Amino acid sequence: MVVRRRQSIPDQTVRSSELTPEKEGELSLAAPKLGLVLSILAMFLVPFFYFLFVRYRMEIEIHLRLSILVCVAISLCGFVASALLIPVAARYLLRRNLFGHDLNKRGTPQGATKVPEALGIVTGIVFLVVAVSVQLAVSFLQYNLTADSDWLVEYNAALACICFMILLGFVDDVLDVPWSVKLVLPLFAALPLVMAYAGHTSIVIPKHLVPFVGQSVLDLGWIYKVYMIMLVVFCTNSINIHAGINGLEVGQTVVISVAILIFNLIQIGASTDPDYKKAHVFSIYIMLPLLTTSLGLLAFNWYPSSIFVGDTYTYFAGMAMAVVGILGHFSETLLLFFLPQVLNFLYSCPQLFGIVPCPRHRLPRFDPQTGLLIGSSDMNLVNLFLRLFGQCTEKSLCIRLLIFQAFSCLLCFGLRSILAGWYK
Amino acid sequence: MAVRRRPSIPNQTAAPPNPDPGGDPQPPNAAPSLDQFSLAPPKLGLILSVLALFLIPFFYLLFVHYQVESDLRYYISICVALSLVGFVFTVGLIPVATRYLLRRNMFGYDINKRGTPQGEVKVPETLGIVTAIVFLVVAIVLQLCTLTADSDWLVEYNAALACICFMTLLGFVDDVLDVPWRVKLALPFFASLPLMMAYAGHTSIIIPKPLVPYVGLSVLDLGVIYKVYMILLVIFCTNSINIHAGLNGLEVGQTVVISFAVLIHNLMQIGASTDIDYKQAHAFSIYIMWPLLTTSLGLLAFNWYPSSVFVGDTYTYFAGMSLAVVGILGHFSETLLLFFLPQILNFLYSCPQLFGFVHCPRHRLPRFDTQTGLLTGTNDMNLVNLFLRLFGRCTEKSLCIRLLIFQALSCLMCFGLRYILAGWYK
Repeated sequence: MVVRRRQSIPDQTVRSSELTPEKEGELSLAAPKLGLVLSILAMFLVPFFYFLFVRYRMEIEIHLRLSILVCVAISLCGFVASALLIPVAARYLLRRNLFGHDLNKRGTPQGATKVPEALGIVTGIVFLVVAVSVQLAVSFLQYNLTADSDWLVEYNAALACICFMILLGFVDDVLDVPWSVKLVLPLFAALPLVMAYAGHTSIVIPKHLVPFVGQSVLDLGWIYKVYMIMLVVFCTNSINIHAGINGLEVGQTVVISVAILIFNLIQIGASTDPDYKKAHVFSIYIMLPLLTTSLGLLAFNWYPSSIFVGDTYTYFAGMAMAVVGILGHFSETLLLFFLPQVLNFLYSCPQLFGIVPCPRHRLPRFDPQTGLLIGSSDMNLVNLFLRLFGQCTEKSLCIRLLIFQAFSCLLCFGLRSILAGWYK
Repeated sequence: MAVRRRPSIPNQTAAPPNPDPGGDPQPPNAAPSLDQFSLAPPKLGLILSVLALFLIPFFYLLFVHYQVESDLRYYISICVALSLVGFVFTVGLIPVATRYLLRRNMFGYDINKRGTPQGEVKVPETLGIVTAIVFLVVAIVLQLCTLTADSDWLVEYNAALACICFMTLLGFVDDVLDVPWRVKLALPFFASLPLMMAYAGHTSIIIPKPLVPYVGLSVLDLGVIYKVYMILLVIFCTNSINIHAGLNGLEVGQTVVISFAVLIHNLMQIGASTDIDYKQAHAFSIYIMWPLLTTSLGLLAFNWYPSSVFVGDTYTYFAGMSLAVVGILGHFSETLLLFFLPQILNFLYSCPQLFGFVHCPRHRLPRFDTQTGLLTGTNDMNLVNLFLRLFGRCTEKSLCIRLLIFQALSCLMCFGLRYILAGWYK
């Protein structure tokens, strides 16, 4: 959801350039918040390496460990590349009038600054290069996923989907397509996946429902493919509407992808089925680049944002996560990690479907005197948190929402371990 | 190569370029309001005749001349049908996209009409994005219809899609952000990486018979060197189409001619061969070339002289990548290079200017004479100017037609060459 007023009509551009007399090419972005981002990276790597090297030392063979390490190394290069390229891209984007104004700072001098938009394109392109480089590097090691033809198909389909989504997302950011078209874009981008998906389309019926259904495994066939498309459309759009606060879109992606990575590693360690392991390795090869390139973006997008990420980013991130959930065969777990997004979507339904009036931006109200955000009566989590927990600054609101995201993921880990024996 | 002056710096748009007192009274930097802008109608008569001109020999070869298996005939016919649907969608979507592109100031001025009223019209740029997106959707849906879930060709198909999509993305980013030319040259390299990852075919070449005594082998396995060759081929195909440009309809026109030649070649190989894998390779190429051909024809309906839309680097990179991909994955890259003969000649002739030995202006375009309406060749070292110097001045439209006839004759000559040499060198 575009939450920054987009300067797309030229006569408005003239007005806004009167407000901020910046000369061409003199954009200087605020320094990236590297301290914050590097601490997050360290906080993630510690448990990740613990699981990889200590906890599952016996269960994960040396070649697999090496491949994952190579993936980490190349993904970290992607982090550096993102952080370096964003300031460069920001100049070009600003020159092409791809910018917005921060509505949550309206009334203060910061509210008049032109903030470059659509920087998700940098993240997306670096991600694609890193993802392919990881596969090329790993193909020299023994744990070569893509020597197996089935996985090569799915990997290429995943790349094609994610690339197509980045393309459509960027076209949307540049041309500002109508929202009805915007909703449908993920469906087209998901098509390569649907065509290529050669996995089982059956689901495991929870044990206590088996007497009612009559079978323990139910083959859904093409209905499963419809489910896949719906999952993609949901993941992309749900991240897009749980937005509007500096750093929220990238932050939620970082939290969820950390959760997915830890989950993948645990599943690899705890399982003996080689196909099952491959599914989770595949997910790691895609989630690690997503995590590091997103952290590079977060360095500039965290409060106060020097850049905005655009629909390019939210669609790209949603698609990447949906793809690993589908091809890694853990889409139910993925939906559990998406709990806040699910709640936000359900709560937003009345406004989204027009039953309750829906303004252009469903943002809180900003009070320039106190510098705090006040919850409006809009039906989304952002405003709900403000109404429940009182007014606060934009930064603390974002932190609260991300803590909620993290707790939901922890809750899901707990739920899985409790229910694991019970329903499957 | 951007051959139309791009008013991307806001203060440049403020400078009135129009000395003609009868020109547009509106200030040049106001975007045309959406109601006022109307695209010239597409040249459907021309395009549909070209299409018919293709379909007749193609279907003759498919159904009459060669004994092609019935299921392959069925799949190819579905491919043609879906591609024709793609043609209709392209023609329908271009006017829509044009409004959005203009609104975002993505337009240029036609330098070859400078000094006439047409030279002041804002021509929407980057319409290649419509062609590419329709192509991708058609290619994906085609995959559903022609391939089964366990087909070996799924790998190649998805790798091809990933490459073409990545190239379109990078081309569109280039058109929007106007990246420096050194970056532009390197973009196809990154876009070809998925192909490197997926290519599982043989990396050996067949040594021409006359050279076997010298080389000592009849088949030489190049290994990694073959992959380097693949990357070079991609970079060449994309950039060579990009520099053989500058006239209304030239970029799309050359792509249409080459893709049609490729399609006929594919069909002839399918008809003449009995090896299943070999036939599958050429069928794969057909499944990608037909959507390219029809979506490009949809674009040409608006881009043919006089151009109502410009295609942008998005189109030239997308087209070059598609052609390179089918040449590589279909294992007929030498034949593809033969079809690219004019592009090769243009590249070789341009080298002194490209590498800076001879002074290289921003646009290596002919000079347009407003009195006569003719183009005059400059000293620039490319085919466009060479044709003007050799064959005399002419209008932009006839020059483009001459160059496309040259392209078609080159392709015909290559068919002839292959036929003559087939027994001799392989």
